[in-house]
Amino acid sequence: MMLPYLIIVPLFGAFATPLVGLAGKKARELWAVLITALTLGVASELFYTVWKSGEIMVYTLGGKNPLGQGVGFPIRIVWEVDLLSALFALMVTLIAFVAVLYSTEYMRHDTGLEKYYTLVLVLEVGMLGIAITGDLFNFYVFLEIMSIASYALVAFRNDTWEGIEAGIKYMFTGSLASAFILLGIVLLYGQYGTLTMAYLAKMIAGNPTFTAKVALGLLAGGLLFKSGAVPVHMWLADAHPAAPSSISAMLSGLVIKIGGTYALARLAFSVFGMGISMKTVGWIIIFFACATLIVGNAMAIIQTDMKRLFAFSSVGQIGYILLGIGIGLAAYGSDVGDVALAGAIYHTVNHALMKALLFLVAGAVIHQLGTKNLNELSGIARRMPVTSFAFLVGAAAIIGLPPLNGFASKWLIYESSALFNPFLAAIAIIGTAFCTAAYIRVLFTFFGRPSERVVNATEPGKAMLVPMLILVLAIIIMGLFPWAISEKVMIPAAKTLENFSAYVTAVLGGV
Amino acid sequence: MKSDMGLIVKTTARATIPLIGIFGAYVVSHGHLTPGGGFQGGATIAGAGILFLIAFGLGEMKKRYNHHLYSALEGLGGLAFLGAAMLGMGVAFFYNALWQDGPFFNGQPGTLLSAGYLPIMNLAVGLKVFTGLVSAMAAIAAYRRWKE
Repeated sequence: MMLPYLIIVPLFGAFATPLVGLAGKKARELWAVLITALTLGVASELFYTVWKSGEIMVYTLGGKNPLGQGVGFPIRIVWEVDLLSALFALMVTLIAFVAVLYSTEYMRHDTGLEKYYTLVLVLEVGMLGIAITGDLFNFYVFLEIMSIASYALVAFRNDTWEGIEAGIKYMFTGSLASAFILLGIVLLYGQYGTLTMAYLAKMIAGNPTFTAKVALGLLAGGLLFKSGAVPVHMWLADAHPAAPSSISAMLSGLVIKIGGTYALARLAFSVFGMGISMKTVGWIIIFFACATLIVGNAMAIIQTDMKRLFAFSSVGQIGYILLGIGIGLAAYGSDVGDVALAGAIYHTVNHALMKALLFLVAGAVIHQLGTKNLNELSGIARRMPVTSFAFLVGAAAIIGLPPLNGFASKWLIYESSALFNPFLAAIAIIGTAFCTAAYIRVLFTFFGRPSERVVNATEPGKAMLVPMLILVLAIIIMGLFPWAISEKVMIPAAKTLENFSAYVTAVLGGV
Repeated sequence: MKSDMGLIVKTTARATIPLIGIFGAYVVSHGHLTPGGGFQGGATIAGAGILFLIAFGLGEMKKRYNHHLYSALEGLGGLAFLGAAMLGMGVAFFYNALWQDGPFFNGQPGTLLSAGYLPIMNLAVGLKVFTGLVSAMAAIAAYRRWKE
């Protein structure tokens, strides 16, 4: 059973970093790369096992059986890993590995790096914990681990005004959102007296109260904040540009998805699925999704700061993921719902890959040229061909051009939204039109005539190019077999998420 | 650097710092028997450190505080916690193997040497909280100046 090592390995890495750091800089970097590589190995093994068996893996902390002696309800913390959790754990470990490898060169000029690597590993622990946990309070703890590590990492460059400003903004509003989530959990515990998700789902199904609805409202509000949905997306557009680029890649690729949309989908389906009107919740999420799609992508067009543009584009892409989840809820039980949910899951993975790639490209440009202002960056392609190629692949994938991975996932979302409600499909298309406009602008900047600033630019070193090429390769390979991946991984993952009685039975036994 | 506090405060601090430390150590070590535990005890001991910092000033603190040592000890506290949690890996993560059939810490419930890995975890958390809080306070106290 490899599951506990998914947490143990990065946690051990984080605790040991201050000790290893005494041995010097090189040892510290090597240690962080080694630990993230090991975690990636554990996650791949876990994903393969879960995918192969198609079952839900349950792990009990502190005992063999989640149920208490002589009672029929779970008393221990359980970790519950279905195909969706395993897929997202694999995604988290891959991006984290790539980002850490990239940091070895990118962060070399900064000070306080022993704290940096500790925080990155802690961030990874938090995200993996959210993906695998089956206990509501455990979920909250991991969410806070993730959030606090990301507050600190956003403000990591504390000698720049924007790092501090973004960090303060993110921390104040993020803590408020976390407090909403905690309040929701408190209400559920007061009403039902349990914190195990599976058992809670059964209790809510048996006795759906008004309290449960209020709790869902608070939880959804907090989680929409964490995912950067539109009325509460303002922190994201500040936090992502201000963070070091390797961290922006993790924030944009992982944090807003694991701590936001994944948790929202998990709670809406697995915990509340049997006790509430899924149609209502679905339409509420669809409403926010449409607002997010339009505002995020439209705001991306008018940016002159490259990383800010990518950050708004992340908001826009979260809109697609939320749209898929919303339709999956509103059209629950039909083929359209299946396809929409599969599209949302697929798009989560794809967007993690391509947005991580784009932020790494932005980091390379900043590292080599010292500016992220698009007006000064004309003609990078002549001087930095590999970086520009990586950007081209990332931008084409995010728009959704056919040979790349973004096409299939967006297609699933378009198709399902068109079948569900043509108006939603029109909104999705408008969002993509804005997104295309934004990226074409950057593309023209990259491939234009070299400006004075760019003339002496060079490619970054291997430690920065290799992570980008890994992601380019992943995007191209995933783009070559889109329907096979969709059939073999994404649709089954959507099905496991929809099948909430299996989620309950896995913990409680035959009920 | 001149310390700000007067003689009475310094003398009282000399008398109370050991008492606070001992009380904190008591809270940590009896975490499984009485209210309190690793966090509460660790924060109490950190209170002694902060009293030292305030009563004797930053100059004295800088002589006695080693950043690397405290950072390493904090990591060690975390590792000890993780190690205790892994003792029963044969059954499950966080399985209390010491309590079930361990060589020690499995005495009569209510005595000091009972409760399996809990005393170890309390000590680890106490160490981590103490070193972490003292480091944080020392770093804030040493933070450059009021104005640039």
